[in-house]
Amino acid sequence: MIQVTEETRAGWCIVAVRGRADAEAADALEAALRDAVQRHNRVAADLSALDYVSSAGLRALIQAAREAEGRRSEFAICSATPPVKKVFDMSGLQQILKIQGALPC
Amino acid sequence: MSRDRESELWLKGDIHELGKLADWISPFADAAGLNLALEELFVNAVRHGGCEGLEQAVHICVREIQGGFEVEFRDRGRPFDFTAAPAADLKAPLAERQGSGLGIHLVRQLMREITWRREGEWNILNMRYIVIEGEEVA
Repeated sequence: MIQVTEETRAGWCIVAVRGRADAEAADALEAALRDAVQRHNRVAADLSALDYVSSAGLRALIQAAREAEGRRSEFAICSATPPVKKVFDMSGLQQILKIQGALPC
Repeated sequence: MSRDRESELWLKGDIHELGKLADWISPFADAAGLNLALEELFVNAVRHGGCEGLEQAVHICVREIQGGFEVEFRDRGRPFDFTAAPAADLKAPLAERQGSGLGIHLVRQLMREITWRREGEWNILNMRYIVIEGEEVA
């Protein structure tokens, strides 16, 4: 199960992701993130309530980042919990995605 | 898992079985890392191995050993030697990254001593998962 909510703050669209980003939830996550990237120039994914991520969830983040790159807009991944951060570390994605500690605003 | 030293699970070839897998694995020590490795193997079997729609597509057996678990993962998909599969190119730039091979890479990071064999209609993977005290993965 995954829940995605969106709010706009100081010029940023903050997409808060809650629950589990597994293969069942990945399509919904990708659609929500890409939709935000298509409508906003600066998007931050707030992962502070994301408990679990698998390669399918990582793929959703990669696709959103690719979409942002194509549009020359910003896409930041923020506030990952320790277990999710560990998967980022294992995946090597921290080298190609903009992963940061705190939200930009 | 505290009383049962061994536990097994059957899964249908349906991605909606992931919730059942997560519920089954949750009482295990360091369940999240084990959950991640098993999800990757299961999703691979369903989406790419031809297990989609099969009633008894996957059988998983986990046995507690000193310091971790012995895991056997069986699927009725096409013959697929997981140990010989190419992993993701982690250095590829974002524009070329589709995420393919990432699941295989994660399983190799999480599991030890992975062996594959084909027995009748089954792919059988045997492997070990080592629990690191105080560590929680995914």
